[in-house]
Amino acid sequence: MDTQWPRWEVFKQDTPQKPHQAVGSVHAADPLHALLTARNVFVRRPQAVSLWVVRAEEVYAWTKEEIAEGLPQARLEGSAEVYLVFRKSSHKRSMTFVDFVGEVRATSPEAALQQALERFTDAEGLAWWVVPASRVYKSDESPETLESWFAPAQDKTYKQQQHYATVGSHVSQHKRRVRHGSPDEERAHR
Amino acid sequence: MPGRYGVPSDPDYEERLAEFEARIQRGEKIEPGDWMPEEYRRQLIRMISQHAHSEVVGMLPEGAWITRAPSLKRKMILIAKVQDEAGHGQYLYHAAETLGISREAMLEALLSGRAKYSSIFNYPTLTWADVGVIGWLVDGAAIKNQTMLAACSYGPYSRAMVRICAEETFHHKQGKEMVLLYAKGSPKQRQMVQDAINRWWWPALMMMGPHDKDSPNTEILVRWGIKTKTNDQVRQEFINEHAPEILDAGLSIPDPQLRYDERTGNWLHGPINWDEFWQVVGGSGPMNKERLEARRKAHAEGAWVREALAAYAARQLRATVAV
Repeated sequence: MDTQWPRWEVFKQDTPQKPHQAVGSVHAADPLHALLTARNVFVRRPQAVSLWVVRAEEVYAWTKEEIAEGLPQARLEGSAEVYLVFRKSSHKRSMTFVDFVGEVRATSPEAALQQALERFTDAEGLAWWVVPASRVYKSDESPETLESWFAPAQDKTYKQQQHYATVGSHVSQHKRRVRHGSPDEERAHR
Repeated sequence: MPGRYGVPSDPDYEERLAEFEARIQRGEKIEPGDWMPEEYRRQLIRMISQHAHSEVVGMLPEGAWITRAPSLKRKMILIAKVQDEAGHGQYLYHAAETLGISREAMLEALLSGRAKYSSIFNYPTLTWADVGVIGWLVDGAAIKNQTMLAACSYGPYSRAMVRICAEETFHHKQGKEMVLLYAKGSPKQRQMVQDAINRWWWPALMMMGPHDKDSPNTEILVRWGIKTKTNDQVRQEFINEHAPEILDAGLSIPDPQLRYDERTGNWLHGPINWDEFWQVVGGSGPMNKERLEARRKAHAEGAWVREALAAYAARQLRATVAV
């Protein structure tokens, strides 16, 4: 049996004020499975309020370098639909790849990219992703789901390193201290 | 799609390599889709997939203790920790996938025994104290390595490592807390935790890999910002942090030559038994066979779950089409 399930890109929103951001991927058989797995992998700890997943092959991606070599020819076929646009705007960020910046209506992914390049000009686009909105699956927004999916990560404080903050002494206290010999000798000195 | 991976025989290789290395010098992350030398890609796949396998196999020595945890609190901590390791495997397999290798290919390499994983997981966990010592020393050694890799030049690997380090710090601290508690406990508890330290100290030092002079990949890895420190540097940082803390807790370290060097401020260690290391890497460690068998068994026995999920997904799809 094929053990390779389809790959889904995961977008996580940390707080209602922040954009959804690409955090990585999961493998899953269907959208709900993908959302549940994304929750287990990316939201074991604070914080999140929403997750989106989309099949990896539904993501149309371009780097700045590729765009510089010539804009892709827009396919003309197809009726207009909504595309979600994501952009990478820093070479140095550590935790996420692209951010959700907004929506465009277009007849093809290439046309959606062209519109995005014209519209979202407030920051440099180092990489662009466009995704048909109809292919994006979102976590349920009901208060019950928010509570059961995202609150436990905050409540389980024993998973947080801060929970153990006062354990032992800080490493700096050991700098420049000479300690040698067996523990028994150490105890005898006390 | 432009030629994304370069080899020295390409006409524009030197020019592209210079720009690539300039980007790394500027502290920029290299992302999927960016040009990179084929050798950079090959080294990353090798490192990241080994790392992912280590996280997955790493669940086994500790997972065995979940049912035998001494309290509900410790059980919840251990479950969370083992779940973290599974998640770390996921982050890392994804990072490797961005370089054009499939997860199924990596999994097959692990199950067939072709792929390597950290040799430390081929040692047995004999008592509950091992759970604490693995958290403090083994995860402590892992964090030293991983903090360095979080600054890695490849974006997806660096991102995975930042996440992993944040979670690994919880593993480290809960382990330290547990060991310090036992060190203050009954003579039997102290003896149990001392025994665990005696068994895990040397394997933990070996986790950082061979000495720099015996590590052929290090030079290119440092030059391309994959690693930002050498094996010996990371090992020294680990000993400097952990040796005084262990001794301060009234426990001892199984290295008669361990001493503090006033001049350099470093704790110097005695010779490491690399023969043992290479034997374990080569498959002859105490638990190599068992670990791989457990992985294969889990994969085979999980087949019905995969089949059920696939059947459910197919039915969902038919229902959607029918509507």
